[in-house]
Amino acid sequence: MDLFLAYQSLIAFVGINGLLALSVYATLCCGQLSLANAGFMAIGAYTGALITQHARGVPFVAVLAASALLPAIIAVPLGLPVLRLRGVFLAIATIGFGEMVRLFFVNWDYTNGALGLVAIPQRTHLWTIFLALAGALYLLGRLRGSRAGYALEAIREDETAARTMGIDTTAHKLAMFVLGAAIAGVAGALEAHLTFMVAPSGYGFGRVVDMLVQAVVGGTAAFFGPVIGAAFLTVLPEVLREAGARLGFAPGPFRLFLNGAILLVVILFLPNGLVSLLRRRRAA
Amino acid sequence: MSSASRRMVVLLLLGIACKEKPAGEASAPSGGALIGAALSLTGAAAVYGAQQRAGIQAAAEEIAQGGGPKLQVLIEDDGSTKEQGITVFQKFINRDKVSAILGPTLSNTASAADPLAQQAQVPVLGISNTAATGITDIGNYIWRDSLTEAQVIPGAFKKAREKLGFKSAGVLYGNDDVFTKAGYDVMRKTLADQGIKVLDTQTFAKPDRDFHAQLTALIGVKPDVVVVSALADNAAAIVSQARQLGWSGPILGGNGFNSPAFIKNAGAAAEGVMVGTSWNSLSQEPANQKFLEAMKKRGVNPDQFSAQAFTGVQILAEAIKRAGGKTGREEIEKGLGLVKDLDTPLGKFSFTPSRDAQHDPSVQQVKDGKFQIVQ
Amino acid sequence: MGQQALNGVFVGSIYALFAVGYTLVFGVLDILNLAHQAVFMLAAFAALLLVADAHLPLWAAMPLAVLFAGLLGILLERLAFRPLRGRADSNISGLISSLAMGTVFEAIALQIFGPDTSRFPHGTFPDRLIRIGGASASLLQLCIIAISVVLMALLTLLLARTRLGRQIRAVAESPRAARILGVNVDRVIAAAFFISSSLGGAAGVLFALAFNSISPDVGRSVELKGLAVIILGGMGSIPGAVIAGFALGLIEVFTVAGFGSSYRDAVSFAVLFVVLLARPRGLLGQAAAREA
Repeated sequence: MDLFLAYQSLIAFVGINGLLALSVYATLCCGQLSLANAGFMAIGAYTGALITQHARGVPFVAVLAASALLPAIIAVPLGLPVLRLRGVFLAIATIGFGEMVRLFFVNWDYTNGALGLVAIPQRTHLWTIFLALAGALYLLGRLRGSRAGYALEAIREDETAARTMGIDTTAHKLAMFVLGAAIAGVAGALEAHLTFMVAPSGYGFGRVVDMLVQAVVGGTAAFFGPVIGAAFLTVLPEVLREAGARLGFAPGPFRLFLNGAILLVVILFLPNGLVSLLRRRRAA
Repeated sequence: MSSASRRMVVLLLLGIACKEKPAGEASAPSGGALIGAALSLTGAAAVYGAQQRAGIQAAAEEIAQGGGPKLQVLIEDDGSTKEQGITVFQKFINRDKVSAILGPTLSNTASAADPLAQQAQVPVLGISNTAATGITDIGNYIWRDSLTEAQVIPGAFKKAREKLGFKSAGVLYGNDDVFTKAGYDVMRKTLADQGIKVLDTQTFAKPDRDFHAQLTALIGVKPDVVVVSALADNAAAIVSQARQLGWSGPILGGNGFNSPAFIKNAGAAAEGVMVGTSWNSLSQEPANQKFLEAMKKRGVNPDQFSAQAFTGVQILAEAIKRAGGKTGREEIEKGLGLVKDLDTPLGKFSFTPSRDAQHDPSVQQVKDGKFQIVQ
Repeated sequence: MGQQALNGVFVGSIYALFAVGYTLVFGVLDILNLAHQAVFMLAAFAALLLVADAHLPLWAAMPLAVLFAGLLGILLERLAFRPLRGRADSNISGLISSLAMGTVFEAIALQIFGPDTSRFPHGTFPDRLIRIGGASASLLQLCIIAISVVLMALLTLLLARTRLGRQIRAVAESPRAARILGVNVDRVIAAAFFISSSLGGAAGVLFALAFNSISPDVGRSVELKGLAVIILGGMGSIPGAVIAGFALGLIEVFTVAGFGSSYRDAVSFAVLFVVLLARPRGLLGQAAAREA
């Protein structure tokens, strides 16, 4: 029981990071490298926190719905022009969006700028997080094998060919972009109501990079791959913390080094992510 | 989640759970106490975490040698993020079962992690949290020995005005960091309260190294004094660049300037800069001298962060003493409430009724490459 | 006004030098090298070590540090990019593996040097102030602008006039065609990385001199600005990166002067946005940035 308590937060973060990795996967599965989700997460987090702090009676479900809705709404006018860009350009444009959202919150006095909002009541429980995660997994899982799912795969393989075949590529890409934004927004609100506070420093470039890395390391070949990646990369630093202490290393740079090294190894030798390990075992 | 991946996650967690306790890990020394310290050893606040670690280790050693309670301090990295801060706190509280926690380094991390300690009724002593609200407000188990800017700046500015007689100011502050933003909020209020006209305000972000544009703009409006809320690294660059751009007027800094690193990096440009600080580096009191010696022995430059960390350990030792030598969580909590006029490197230290720090701040000015007290 | 213009040119020259390396690798390999800022940082530390510990004069330390950066670039290419070359999603995996290498470099720097900011010892560069019109500039600032411009000019000459330059341009156009034409593509790519990282390293040393600030996270502040520069200039275009570097420096400075510094970084990203939406190929770029 004590062990569970000691790692309760870790389990919660695995769930939240799983949601965030899935939000990146939403666009990756149709071949779009969008790095906007830290921005959407911030919008969802602040929305949820502000509602909770100013409108006490609103039930948590409604708060979460609002935190999914606002990013989704913003994703539409953002996505339409931006999704026309290819590859790295889309990535850079979305990085720019994320930074602008962060800077907005740093400069907004109403939310105390860099100090952020504190003393947010803890309305998130473990089951809330995993319920949301299950929901997201269900949505994304249902896509596979469906007509929309095949369309997304076609777009990922060759967008021009898909368009010539009559697939509305813009609508599909935009839908996934909006879905990703909604999932990220919910994750943000869940995290805000778990950690008692929100501040712009938590939603910078580093955050979205973490999400991307978790999705890719887990593997985007399967819809649950990103969750595996999130679990692995969230738990890994803690395992390394213990290992490092046992080996006599002082905490600090060693862990950072191993994070980078392990990421390198996975990307070089396991290109389809950890999911490919499972696949291999199943096929054998 | 498919059964295979679920299996994997479960296996991972079981793996952590089944690890044996390695030799020499968390267990309270006999007659002593197990303390957890959550410090930012990597990430944005790594500079402060490193200083704090030195201060804590020095203090624990000095106290043990001086016949005080044996404090075993477990130092963990909170990565300057709230997620790791929370994880570290939970480990301290539930796995290592510490009697008290020092830190975390950043106020942002504190507002996320301290509530956990409050819920579990584990005393926390903040050693660098300077946000005005949202720290000790969390609950009665949260204490801090770091003066907020609100306790330092008004006095410092008043004294500076007595010496320099300024009527208008140009302000530059870091708006993306809690230390400097909190400092700025207080500076703005103090300037207004004291009737000083702010002619222009400029901001910068912590990773910035180039301040020419902002300084040129500030110098352009010809204020009587330039007021800066920045941490040591940025402060050194700001002051050098200001002098380079031709600003020869007075510069007034906040807590962040109070570090030998500031003088070292700014060189000659630091001359004349006035600083309101919570740690009087020049104090001749024996408590401070012992601290300075201990840091010198370890080859570490003493600064405000290490001074406050060192003091933190001393306060915990005192709390244990006041509790009759008992080292449990409740005892330390009660003992903290009894700490009064303790001799520390920060001066005579007590807690306010709201568990914030209380000791005399000071005003210093750089003269001949060293900080001097302004009388 | 004149002072602000000078400020803009000064910071712009460093942005430009940094971005030129960034855009070179993108032009050749179609990959964003996120470890560029780590090389920038390590070169600065290398120069610091050479000056402070080995007591070399600056004019000897800087070329050595730049050479070190170039070698790091070759290592980077061999370790993190070459194994990925055949893959379909190479730009995403290249991005991630360069990110991983950047993290590893930063961890090494953190372990060796600690998180503190260091500076060059006083007197590394003569401290002299020069007045130009109503503005004041340090001799150091003027030298940095000059060195940046010279290095960028040399790069342009190399690409336009030398055999290696032609080969680089050929590989950038089409690696397959270049190979058919007898170009040793592997060696050319390694050379491109060497050049790119050397320039990034030079930018790092100049930055460290300019702002007297060397720390393991010093690359972070330039990294995202660098992105804005290469987009504005046009991905793969060297002259574009140069012009855009100076332009961004000036835009930033005048934003501060006119609107206040809180908007400064937001303006860089707004510029990035507007360019991507209105004219994705930037000022001088040729890469097709849209789908159809």
